[in-house]
Order: sequence, then structure tokens, then C-alpha cells
Amino acid sequence: MEVKIVKEDDRQVVYITGRVDTVTAPELEKAVAPLLGEIGIKIVFDCTGLEYVSSSGLRVVLGSHKIVVAKGGKFALRGLSREVKSVFDLTGFSKILTIE
Amino acid sequence: MEKKLILLNEISEISKLAGFIEEIGEELSLQPDMVFNLNLVLEEAVSNVILYAYPDGGTQEIHLTAKVCNSALLFVLSDRGVEFDPTQVPDADITLSGEERPIGGLGVYLIRQIMNSVEYKRIDGENVLILSKDL
Repeated sequence: MEVKIVKEDDRQVVYITGRVDTVTAPELEKAVAPLLGEIGIKIVFDCTGLEYVSSSGLRVVLGSHKIVVAKGGKFALRGLSREVKSVFDLTGFSKILTIE
Repeated sequence: MEKKLILLNEISEISKLAGFIEEIGEELSLQPDMVFNLNLVLEEAVSNVILYAYPDGGTQEIHLTAKVCNSALLFVLSDRGVEFDPTQVPDADITLSGEERPIGGLGVYLIRQIMNSVEYKRIDGENVLILSKDL
């Protein structure tokens, strides 16, 4: 898994490539942690290169969403493949998260 | 078809599951979304064992067997860790809002959603989890 964070206009875009599983999810959590503390941050996880996600990855996504929203920010996801989207659908995450 | 994989109770072992299920997918000509879902199920089941079955530590083996039986793909996962029956775990409530949703508790839920049957037995000090997916 690789994580690249790029400021695009007024948003921080987190490009996630590869597999987010039990092994790699802590790396994703660590990479985004410094951003999440900012008041009113606008953040989007770009999942165009995300090949696989397990419940460990979902935990990081939901945890990030909760922190950002609690601090008055906006959290979104984009570029989900059909397979990755199906995991978000199965778990009901598609309904509670903003998917662009 | 029958394939076996022996894993150790270390998180890094999870990475071996992708190759294991890819091989099965090729052999059985499974669709990519099926391979994806089965990888997910195996990761959730195996990570539960790795994370919780051996609280006292020490290197232990986890055995995974995959076989085709009566037009279903069967996974048998066994370990000698503390007794844990995932079929008794209550379903995650997926109707809660983002703020109310607890972080976690989705692994077993995903296994149940994806597989056609999930069976657990405790046999001679072993946890045996039998997961079946219709082909």
C-alpha cells in the first residue's frame, strides 16, 4: 500500500494505492492522523488505486470520518472500484459516508 | 481440488492469503469479485485468530484448507487457541448513523454476508470454522 497526500484547492486529497488490510491499515491511519486534528479540514480519500479493503481499512475510514466531522470538517471518498464499493455497500458505509 | 495453507499467529501472515485465494480463483475460474470477497472473508476469519486466539503469545500454527464439495467451495480454518465461536457474535447494526456506528465489529458480519454458511465446532481443543460458498 502507498499513501500520497496532495493539497488540491481547499482540500487535502489522500491517494491510496494497493491493498488496505490488517497488515497495512495501521500505516494508513498513521499517515492521515496529522491531518485529522485540523479544525474544519476538507479531506477526500481517493481510492482510484485501491485494489482491496478489509474491515481494518473500513475502521480507519470510519474513524477518520468521525474525527473530521466532529471538528466541523468534511470527509469524502472518491474513485471506488466496483469491488471496493460493494464492501462499503455491504457494511452500510455507503449510506453514512459521502461518496463522490 | 484441495489446497492447504499453514499460517503462524503473526499479523504479517495475512499477506499470504491473497496468493492462496488467487491460485484457487485461477484453478476454479472464479470471477474477480468472488476472489475479492473470498479474500476478504479469509482475512476477517484468520485475523480474528491471529489477534485474539493466543493472548499468551508464543508461535502457533493456524491451518486453512480449501476444497470443492458438492458444487460449493469449502474453507476449513482450525487453531488450538482460546475457544471462540464467531457464529455467536451478534450482527453489527448497519442502520446506525456515522456518529453512532462503533469502530469495528464488522469482520464477522462480512463473513456472514458473503458466505452461504458459517459453521463452528470445538473439537478436541480446536476451534474449527467451516465456511461455505456456493459456486
